[in-house]
Amino acid sequence: MAGTEDDIVRVMDRGGVTLVRLGLDSILREAEVEALGRALAALAEVPGQRVVLSFLGVEQLTSRVLGQLIYARKCLEETGGELRLADIDPRLYEVFVIARLDRFFRIFEREDEAIASFHKEAEA
Amino acid sequence: MKARGSRAEGRSAWTEKVLPTRLDVIRETEREVLGRLEALGYDEDHRFAVRLAVEEALVNAMRHGNRMDPLCQVRLAYRVSPERVEIRITDEGNGFDPASVPDPTADENLCKPCGRGIMLMRSYMDEVSYASSGREVHLVKYRRHAAGA
Repeated sequence: MAGTEDDIVRVMDRGGVTLVRLGLDSILREAEVEALGRALAALAEVPGQRVVLSFLGVEQLTSRVLGQLIYARKCLEETGGELRLADIDPRLYEVFVIARLDRFFRIFEREDEAIASFHKEAEA
Repeated sequence: MKARGSRAEGRSAWTEKVLPTRLDVIRETEREVLGRLEALGYDEDHRFAVRLAVEEALVNAMRHGNRMDPLCQVRLAYRVSPERVEIRITDEGNGFDPASVPDPTADENLCKPCGRGIMLMRSYMDEVSYASSGREVHLVKYRRHAAGA
């Protein structure tokens, strides 16, 4: 059963860093991918957005998700922002490694570490 | 979704289905295939691999093969034995040349959207082959028992 967009993508502010969590299902599929893409594109409309995308609870993804993440990173960077990833299950992390995207994205073990990395850079 | 029944071939039987070109049927289809793996005791690593490959293959068949044309169908055949999982997915599109798909892990292609699904299927399955000018993909995953199991 399809959920609402707010069920699928939850956007929160964490001290100036935007935290995006994914809900509804442990498996990212078309509806979720579309919603994620729209949410990340909307964030990129505001210049300088620092975004952490948490994969907590996500057990499976698809090549379309990877494509959306690449596109989102590009959009955010064009407006002076940045996308960092966190809480990626080891099996999903392997997908990033196979696709060589572990070098393309900054990936943190936990979302609080990713958020703190932005805060630390802002203080420096 | 129309089930076309099973036909015996050796010790395990092929289950055949005809799917409409609708992305929402993928979840139910995967659930059915994975249920067979679970019943035969395949571990989570095998199920992860097969789920990922089936998802990519069905999405490719519907999006790129049938171009989401609701008049086109996708044929799925699968059989699961204690030793291996075999899946055949056929679309009604114009076909393609798998050799012409660029390597998505090459530096110059890393940001491009194409080829990543095929690359993931090849990474997670033991055999990936194409027939019918690219309209049919055949996936095989062999069972490996965990060390010490």
